[in-house]
Amino acid sequence: MPLDTSTYSLALLRLDGRRWNELRRIHAQISTQAAADGSSYLEMGNTKILVSVTGPAEGRQAGQRGGAGSQAKVEVEINFAGFSGVERRKRKSDKRTNEMEHCLRSAFENVLLLHIYPHSTITLNIHIISQDGSLLAACINASTLALIDAGIPMSDYLVACTAASSASSSAADNASSDDPLLDLNNQEELELPFLTVGTLGESDNVAVCIMESRVRMERMEGMLAVGIEGCKRLRGILDGVVKGYGKRFG
Amino acid sequence: MIAPEVTLTHLNRADGSATYTHIGYSIIGAVNGPIEVQRRDEQPEDATIEVNVRPAVGVGSPKERHLETLLHNTLRSIILTRLIPRTLVQITLQIRSLPEEDDSTGVNTSLTILPHLLHTALLALLSASIPLRTILTSVLIAVPSSASPNTSSTPLLSPTANELLRAKPVRSIHVFAFSGDRKLLLNESDGTFSYAEWAEACEKAEEVCCGEEEEGGVKLDEGESMELDGQVQEESLEKWLRGVVRRKVEWEQRWKSAT
Amino acid sequence: MPREAEISLNEREFIKQALQEQIRLDGRAFDAFRPLELTFGDEYGVADVQLGKTRVIARISVDVTTPLPERKFDGIFQIVTEFSPMASPAFEVGRPTDAEVILSRILEKSIRRSNALDTESLCIIAGLKCFALRADVHIIDHDGGLIDAACIAVMAALQHFRRPDVLVEGEKATILSVREREPIPLSILHQPLCVTFSYFEDEVFLVDANLAEEQVRQGEVILTMNKHGEVCQIAKYGGATINPLALLNCTNVALQKVKEMTTFIQKRLEKDAKKRDAGGLLAELSAENAR
Repeated sequence: MPLDTSTYSLALLRLDGRRWNELRRIHAQISTQAAADGSSYLEMGNTKILVSVTGPAEGRQAGQRGGAGSQAKVEVEINFAGFSGVERRKRKSDKRTNEMEHCLRSAFENVLLLHIYPHSTITLNIHIISQDGSLLAACINASTLALIDAGIPMSDYLVACTAASSASSSAADNASSDDPLLDLNNQEELELPFLTVGTLGESDNVAVCIMESRVRMERMEGMLAVGIEGCKRLRGILDGVVKGYGKRFG
Repeated sequence: MIAPEVTLTHLNRADGSATYTHIGYSIIGAVNGPIEVQRRDEQPEDATIEVNVRPAVGVGSPKERHLETLLHNTLRSIILTRLIPRTLVQITLQIRSLPEEDDSTGVNTSLTILPHLLHTALLALLSASIPLRTILTSVLIAVPSSASPNTSSTPLLSPTANELLRAKPVRSIHVFAFSGDRKLLLNESDGTFSYAEWAEACEKAEEVCCGEEEEGGVKLDEGESMELDGQVQEESLEKWLRGVVRRKVEWEQRWKSAT
Repeated sequence: MPREAEISLNEREFIKQALQEQIRLDGRAFDAFRPLELTFGDEYGVADVQLGKTRVIARISVDVTTPLPERKFDGIFQIVTEFSPMASPAFEVGRPTDAEVILSRILEKSIRRSNALDTESLCIIAGLKCFALRADVHIIDHDGGLIDAACIAVMAALQHFRRPDVLVEGEKATILSVREREPIPLSILHQPLCVTFSYFEDEVFLVDANLAEEQVRQGEVILTMNKHGEVCQIAKYGGATINPLALLNCTNVALQKVKEMTTFIQKRLEKDAKKRDAGGLLAELSAENAR
């Protein structure tokens, strides 16, 4: 049990020693690959993602027009390394991967200023090195950094993180003992209902929200609030990384 | 023989559509065309015809591909492809339900459903106003095993799955399709049979599809048969088909006839 | 592959302008579904849903097979959706579009992952034999709201379906045909239903957009809930940003809609049961004595 309720109520610490509203260790670097137009490497706890961006460039098929309405087209390709998960993963593109690609594509289509590059294609290549929970959130964060590194203008940082509800279904609706948890690892994701929420910068506006588990609707407010709070903090951290990289040229 | 039930042009997105229900078989057909065709399938002087058969349960298997080939070859001869070159006519047939005993009759189930698929496709084509050279009608004839090897048994005309089950084992089944000008368009058979048996089945099929050679039969309402000089006359398939189209045209021209 | 005819600029502007004046083109309220029609086939497990002009048919079929080695006590349940060119000429057979993948995933998450169907009840002999249930979803006509209609169709078909009864004696199991024993209904734990919200400028949220509204919208949120107030899944893949309070408001609206739809499906199932049991035959056939 990831919460280990016996000790949780005493010290309010999760199994990895974090409190309910603590993010995992975030380590991010940009411009990791000199060959790509933009690249980044992000670690959220043990989830490690490598992203490289190519573009804006001509589409893969000769003479291919860009996206609809004379703006650039965003293409996303996600590759799971065979050693990223617990079991060795065979190279198959399944529907879950397609869904994640679709999510990233539509999320960034609304954030990037695509009308500046008509008839072009921006390609995001995402490599997942290690999976330990918050996979979609980490992909979004890493992609944001890589796109900033590539110099593609966007309206604000698109940051995401996960939040879960630790309350049991039989507990009273507003029990004070139910703290929504922030930034889950793999074990917690398997046990608890969680959602991934992505916001635009420091605002409260939700750009992405995916939840795949069953939860009572009363818990939603808490989970969303904690998730958005975590996103704001993440934005600060990622901004620090970008500015730190920029200082080198200052 | 009960006449089949047909509903025309009830789908909103497809250019033409028809739902056909007869003796337990229910098929929805939709036709889109003439529409844009892929460069690799484009033909310079003809329309390209694409047939898709989707089974009730599961995804398509080689059986559906075989049915698509048969339908393609038959329909290609009646669609005026030269009138709409460099375009695509897309025919989709979704099998909605099959009679319960369909897979226990012991006969080739591709052939039992083929006449119904042909009718659905034709009605959908008519609904979409795709230019056709002529209409077609199709029927299944089953020749059951006779009690003794010398006498031949009477062929069953358009048997229901129930009748096929009761007539088990069936020696051979034949599917014939005739055009409006009494030419044979499709001839598929399965089982053991002699040429004489096949010829008899073909003749019977022509009677059912196109009606008698000479005029003399009385045109009757569906489902009812009138005793006339001791003979029971039934409507031929072609007459039924013409009736369906006539009703459609009457409905669409009602603004004219009302004034 | 022919492209879908894109909505014209005039139509787009007209719809947006009308929404700003609180009018929807077909006169519905912003949170109203289109008229819903649900009919069942002659056989068990076939549901035909008509939501406005959108038409979806779901069919449940069952087969006996060996269970997965890592889940010996569970049966197999599979939902298959394949778009056909019948629904829209833009759909191509064999090449799943984004919309098809999304529909498939949402149905998977709503119905399979949320355990709407108790797969343990499909087990015959642990590790050896189990029922494999298969739900085929056929899209007949596409006018928006495919996910909502498909979910209703699958849930209605699941509740309508009767599987053959099984007699288990030790290691041997016999499947009793329909004539030997009356088939039994599936064990459904809860009924998740989807509601798609489309949003436009100025925080305008519409329930159940038709195809024209879908092409004009800025984004969508797909909510799946059951009538007990549990949210089974939320999917907001992108699109313009929305206020989180609006998202929470959507869950309230969705709950109300889901409750209405659940009672509607229930009524239709009862009507169909009555039609099959015409004349109270089932009560007569029962061998129970009146006590």
